Parts: sequence; C-alpha cells; structure tokens
Amino acid sequence: MTISRRVFVKSGGLALVSLGLDPLFLARAAFASGRPAVGPSDRPTLVCLFQRGAVDGLNMIVPHGEPLYYRERPRIAIPAKDVVDLDGHFGLHPSLAPLKGLWDNKSLAAIHAVGSPDTTRSHFDAQDYMESGTPGVKSTSDGWLNRYCRHDQEHADTAFRAVAFGPQLPRILAGTSPALAIDDLQAFGLRVPQEAARDKLTRAFEELYEGSATGLLASSSQEGFAAIQVLKRVNPAQYQPANGADYPPGRFGRALLQIAQLIKADVGLEIAFADLGGWDTHVNQGSSEGQLAARLRELGLGLAAFNQDLGERMRGVVVLTMSEFGRTIAENGNSGTDHGHATAMLALGGPVNGGKVLGRWPGLDPASRFEGRDVAVTTDFRDLFGEILARHLGAGDLAAVFPGFSPNPQRFPGAIRR
Amino acid sequence: MRLRFVTVWLALAVPAALGAQTLTPRDSALHALNRLAHGPRPGEVDSVARTGVMRWIERQLAFERVPDGRLSGRDRDFKLLDYDRAELAQRYGDALRERQRMQREMAQRGDTGRPQGAGPMREFRELGGELQQLAVVRAALSERQLREVMVDFWTNHFNVFVGKGADRFLTPSYVEETIRPNALGRFEDLLIATAKSPAMLFYLDNAQSVAPGSAPPFLARRARQRPGQGVRTGINENYARELLELHTLGVDGGYTQQDVIAVARIFTGWSIDRPQQGAGFAFHAWAHDRGEKQVLGVRFQGHGMDEGIRLLKLLAGQHATMHHVSRKLCARFVNDEPPDGCVDAAVEAWHHTNGDIRAVLRAIFTSPDFWAPQAQRSKVKTPLEFVVSAVRATGAEPDATLRLAQVVARLGQPLYLQPAPTGYPETQAQWVNSGALLGRMNAAVALAAGRLPGASVNLDDVVSATGDHAALVDAVNARLLGGTMSAHTRAVILEQLADVNDPRQARALAVGLALGGPEFQRQ
Repeated sequence: MTISRRVFVKSGGLALVSLGLDPLFLARAAFASGRPAVGPSDRPTLVCLFQRGAVDGLNMIVPHGEPLYYRERPRIAIPAKDVVDLDGHFGLHPSLAPLKGLWDNKSLAAIHAVGSPDTTRSHFDAQDYMESGTPGVKSTSDGWLNRYCRHDQEHADTAFRAVAFGPQLPRILAGTSPALAIDDLQAFGLRVPQEAARDKLTRAFEELYEGSATGLLASSSQEGFAAIQVLKRVNPAQYQPANGADYPPGRFGRALLQIAQLIKADVGLEIAFADLGGWDTHVNQGSSEGQLAARLRELGLGLAAFNQDLGERMRGVVVLTMSEFGRTIAENGNSGTDHGHATAMLALGGPVNGGKVLGRWPGLDPASRFEGRDVAVTTDFRDLFGEILARHLGAGDLAAVFPGFSPNPQRFPGAIRR
Repeated sequence: MRLRFVTVWLALAVPAALGAQTLTPRDSALHALNRLAHGPRPGEVDSVARTGVMRWIERQLAFERVPDGRLSGRDRDFKLLDYDRAELAQRYGDALRERQRMQREMAQRGDTGRPQGAGPMREFRELGGELQQLAVVRAALSERQLREVMVDFWTNHFNVFVGKGADRFLTPSYVEETIRPNALGRFEDLLIATAKSPAMLFYLDNAQSVAPGSAPPFLARRARQRPGQGVRTGINENYARELLELHTLGVDGGYTQQDVIAVARIFTGWSIDRPQQGAGFAFHAWAHDRGEKQVLGVRFQGHGMDEGIRLLKLLAGQHATMHHVSRKLCARFVNDEPPDGCVDAAVEAWHHTNGDIRAVLRAIFTSPDFWAPQAQRSKVKTPLEFVVSAVRATGAEPDATLRLAQVVARLGQPLYLQPAPTGYPETQAQWVNSGALLGRMNAAVALAAGRLPGASVNLDDVVSATGDHAALVDAVNARLLGGTMSAHTRAVILEQLADVNDPRQARALAVGLALGGPEFQRQ
C-alpha cells in the first residue's frame, strides 16, 4: 500500500504515536488513500440535510418491483405508472422527478435499508442517536459532525468551517469545536444603519463577551464576531443564483441557497447542515399527490436548484439526506404510516458513486422484517456517515468520531467513488 | 427603623441550613425572581427582600390570593378570550372557505402567489397572533409570576403544535381550559385534562385511532349494503407512545412496544366532536377495542372509557413518572443538570401528597440545591425569558400585537410552534449559539432606544439620564442587573460612553449594552 503524502501530513504529530497503535494507523491510511489531493480553495464540503419526523423511505425510493409493497399499501402506494423508474426494481417518488437527470449522470445515489442498530421508535431518541452518532448511548454530550471537526484539525479552523442554517445549533454540531448557527446570512450581525456606528457597537459587545462571558456564552459569541468579519467581505445581499437555478420558496430553499453562496465565497465551509420537517405522516400521507408528495417536491426542487446553482463546484460537494427511522411497511388505519425502522437516504454530488441504489435490500417479506413489521436495517448509518467522512472529507480517525464503533471499510455501502 | 428591617430580614430570609450563609437577602430575592418569576421589575429585588423571600415564595404558590388587576385590565385587548372553541372553529371554517375561494379565483387567473385574504383569513391570522402575544403579555405583567412560569412549563411538557390542522382553533382553549386551571393543581388532574383535550387528541392523532375493523354506525350500515367496500381502520400509536415516553414514565421508564400498543388500544374511541358540534371531547363507543389489554403488567378489561382514566391514574402514580417530571422541574428551576438532592426531595413530596404540584414545587424551593452557589445564575434564559425579563427590567409596556412574540420567535422559540411532541428542551444548548446571541444584542439595543416593536418603554421611570457616566452605569447595574455587573463590563460600558455627550443617548447605550451583555443572559 502506498501512503500518500497527504495522509502523512494529516497524521502530523500524531503519526509517531499512531505507529505504535498499528490497527488505527492502518485504518487511517486505508480510509484516506486514493483520494486526490486538493488545493485550499476546493476544500471538500459535506452538506447534511435532516428530514425530521422520520421519512417514509418506501414512498421516497419506491420498491415498485415488489408486489408486497402494493399489497401492504392499498391506499398510499405510488402506482407503478407514476413511479420514476431507476433500475427496474426501485424508482423515485414522482415528486423527485427533478433529480432523475442527476441519477442518469451518476451523481445521485440512494442508500436503502439504512438506519440505527438501536430499536427505538421514539423520534426524540432516534434523532438524538443519529446526531450524537452513538446509538443506544444517551450520555454523549456532543454530535458526530462536531467530533469530526475536533479530530480533524488538518484545516485551520475558520469561522465558517461548520454552519447550521436555522435559529438553533442542532445536536449533530454541538460540542467543543466551533460551529455557527445562522438563521439568515443577510441578517447576521448587529443592525445599525451606519457602518462606523455598527463596527463600534460590534466591538463593544465583542469586548463585553470576551471579558465577562463564560462557557457556551463565551465561545458562541466569539464565533459570531469572527463570522461577522468574514461576512463583511462576502456581502450576501448581492447574491444571485447561477445557471438559472430556481430554489423553492421557504426556509429550506433559502438555506440551500445560502449554503451554495458560502461554498462559492470560499470562506472555508466544510460542513453545512439544514433540516426540514413534516415527515411524520401518521394520517393521510397521500400517494403520488398529497402530504408526503408536497414535502418531497420541496426536497427535490431544492436539491436540483442547489446542483444547478453550484454547477462545476459540485465536484467537491456531497449532499447527504438523513432521517431518524423509516415507517411501517403496511399503511395504518388512517391512510398513514406509523414509526418503523430502516429508511432510505440520498447522496448527491460529484464524488458520489451515483446511478445506484446502494445497501443490501432485505426485501419486504414478513420473514425478513424487523419485529415482523418494518424494513430491517442492513446498513448501520455510521458505516454510511463514516465512509463519507473518510473518503470525501479525508477523516483520519473514525473511531474518535464514532466512539464504541469499529469502522470497517468492508461494510461501507460504497457511496463515494473510488 | 433600619434595625427593624434587619430583624424582619433575618426572620424571613432563607434559612441558613439552606445555604443562605452565602446569600444576602437581596441575592436570594434576585435568585427567586429570576427563577420563579420572569426576572425583577425595577425596585422589585428590594421589595421582595423586605417582604422576605420565603414569604414571597409562599404567596406565589398561593397565587389565587395575589391580586392581578393590571393584567385583567389588559385582557380586554384580546378578542381571542371572548371566543369559545366552537366560535373559533367556525371562524377557522370561514377562513378556510375564503382561502379556497381565493385559490380558485387565482387559479383561473393563472396567479401562483399566496392568497392574501382580507376578511375571515385575516381575522383568523390576527387571532393566532393574539394567542402568542397573550402569553408574552401575561408573563410580563402578571403578579402571579410563578403561575405563568408553570403555565409555560406545562404547555411545553404537554406540547401541542398550533400549526397542525384543527389545532389552529383548538390550541386557545387548550391553554385556557386544560393547562391554566391545572398548572398548580394535581398532576393527575392535569394529565387527564390533557388526555381529554381536543387539542392533544388531534395533535397526537388519537382522535383517529379506532379498533381494527370498527366503523361509525352510518358507515357500518353502508358497508353492509355494499359488501367489499368496508372501511379499513386501525389503531394509531402516536399518543400512546408520547404519553409514556414524554408525559409520564420517561423514555427509560420501563415500558415495551407491547405496552405502547396496549395503551393505544385502551384509548381507542377517545376522540373529538365535529367542529359544527363544538369540537369537544367525545368518546366513541363504536371505535373502542373491547378486548383485554395489559399495561406494565396490569390487566385492563374492555369496559370502555373508564379504562383510559384508570390507566392515566396508574401512570400518574408510577415512581418513574414522579422521577421523570420532578427531574424536568428541577432542570427548569435549579440547574440544567439538576443534582439528585432536589429531585429526590421533589419525588418524596410527590409521594406524600399524591402529586400536589404546589407541594412538589415547595420541596424544590426549600431544597439546599435550589439555593446553592452553583445554582445562582447557572441557567441561560430562554428567548421568552430573555425578552420578558428585559421588558420587565425596563418597565416597558407590551402591546397587544404579535410583534413582541415575533421577537421571541426570531430568537429561536416560536410559541406553540414546536412541531415535535418533546417541546423545547430545558437546557441552554438549545438557545445559545452565535446567531441567537447577536439577535439578543439587537433586541436589547432596540428596546433601550425605544425601537423594539411591540413594547413602549420610558427609561425615565427606571434610570434617570445624567451626564455623570459613572453614576449612570452604577444605576443601570443596580436597577437592571440586580448588582451582577462585572468590573470588566462596567469598564467596557464606561469606555463606550466616553465620547457620548447627550445624556439620553448615553443612557440608551448603557442600557442596551447591559441587557445585551453576558450578565443579563443568565438567571
């Protein structure tokens, strides 16, 4: 095995220690090798989109080749004539039709039957586990994306290395490494009309917090003031999406637009996060049209616009969707679905091994179901997340990002092109 | 005179055994006002210290005897309070019809924008705004502060989402009839009230959960006439799961998926009247699963609605429930990660009094953990607490528009709009991030300059404008920060004032920096 210079440099001061811990060092080398060296301005970016509320993976990536799918869902199955076929067995929900071109050019993959080894059907717990990256362990105080930032110090931290779009910093980015929560780039900062007065007031608050704040108040304010400095240069109010990209109206489209803007501004964005809700479809979920269709349409239009807007820059970007669990195979009494187990996730971008439904499909046969009712998990979400961290971002130490989990490339679903 | 006050303080101050040796009467008054109230108004730290903090706490617990004239005068501003559930349902129906009519017209014109109704739609939107603003106004103005804090706590614990369908018109009565009357009553009564509330039945889908194969009488007749077109129905586990996980036992409370299913079966038939009939609670016997069920090893025969009541009483009396809810109360009142001592004290009081919420709270407020130095200023204010405490500190008057509630929403806590049944967490990590902190600084500066939408402020009543900057900053510290300003903060504010000559401008800047600064974010 050749160890690229990049791996060597990355391990830096730790390399000597690592030599004494062979498996870890070898694991690092194995994860990161084969990834092309990158210049500072095309730092790879990972965009994580959380579908909160548990998306129905079976109506998002539809197993239309299975008669059982139609038998279990007489009112809410997507009729075969409406499914956007992908490979003869699976197909996209018709609302995701805007993504078909990305599938065809092999930058979009779906990963099916992915989920948590923990059996909880609680939204709260399952989201918590997916964000902490430690299924079954509640005491973990930080999120896996934050731990990635802490353990991969190859890039000097910049104010915009990790950004969550929304009023709150999500669990997945909570921790000791700096991370920003931004509701709206344009409104980020102190609102004072004249620039000189604004700068003066900003400095005053910066000093107040530097000297008197403790704990989270101190670190969060510091990150905010650093970001204000960078944004002065970026000038977000002037942004126009490129290539005629048309983002869907609403928070989600706006978040994607601002992520694209930060990527193009080369402010060092490595991790971006946004979430979208409305997936908890217990009642009247709908089929080709309806509640779920409307949510998927927003998702599909948003992703398509993002891809369009970034154009060439997508070569360094991976977008990954995730959701805490899937939903029951059978529809419930209210033309909806209840909490289930495995779901489907989407990966999009230049580095993605696209045009494939990845993961081992367990089928819908009652004998292979989880607890007799749900799609079984065949890909631990940490294998998917770990693969993307290692092979896209070049993470060296997956064991530190997912404590208690032994990373093993043999189990990676193959989401990133080698 | 002076001597007499000292004696009174000693008699009514926090007992030394509770850690009071480290707290002056003013310190303990400030702590109590920060936690049991939405922060002090000008002069209130002194008045509570004079009354004696323990006596003030007892008065807050016995809130019925606290006169609340100022707030009841403001109730008139809120049309929402004049309408009952049926009237709100009717107005919602009118709004929906207006919207559908406009959508049809717009579709004919090829207009793809959002319909902006000027009639019922607009009125209903305003009523929705009143719902949020009423919570802010009550929190800011009520003399019964602890009750308002507990209304907020329980509304969050038994979260419903006003954005979900019928909850748009069911949430006001949920607040008025389900939460408020029970906020300082018995937990069991509150639990039963929420279980029977149309807002919760709709929010967590129990209204639609029916025994497999059952159908309402008129549909059953039709099904007999046209065989093969039977109505497919079944249970919905949503409420059952959240009842166990969030409302009572807690996620580690020792229940199984089989328990969840049994609970869902027990609650089949707990539903809602149609809006035309007032959208009230209704038990549909036809939908009830009459089979035998077992929850936590206890058997339930298929008797009907009684089973659900029996189950709720069983859950309310479980040790896991007492511990789960007590711990959450301590996270609200003592510390994000509360020490075991106060939790145990609360659980013990719960056992003794069969879940009397006042007794549980008293146990927390008299536990040494509540008064410990580690608890002082250890919690970061939620956006609601920050906005309301700033309004109170400056003696500002909130208006009846939605605007102040919108400030709370922008800072990360849109009221009644948390879609997840967990409600908002009690911990600071939810609220503290760079964007939200900048938002707080902006709100503080705007309030101090009299520019915060939704609140009118007259700083003359709080701190007089003076050219003596040192005296100004000392007054701001004493009147607005309860004396918690650090030497560093004082120095930075003074430095900022150096080139400000206008006394009113200087005052606005000093107040803005103080309210937006780090000390005021804590409680």
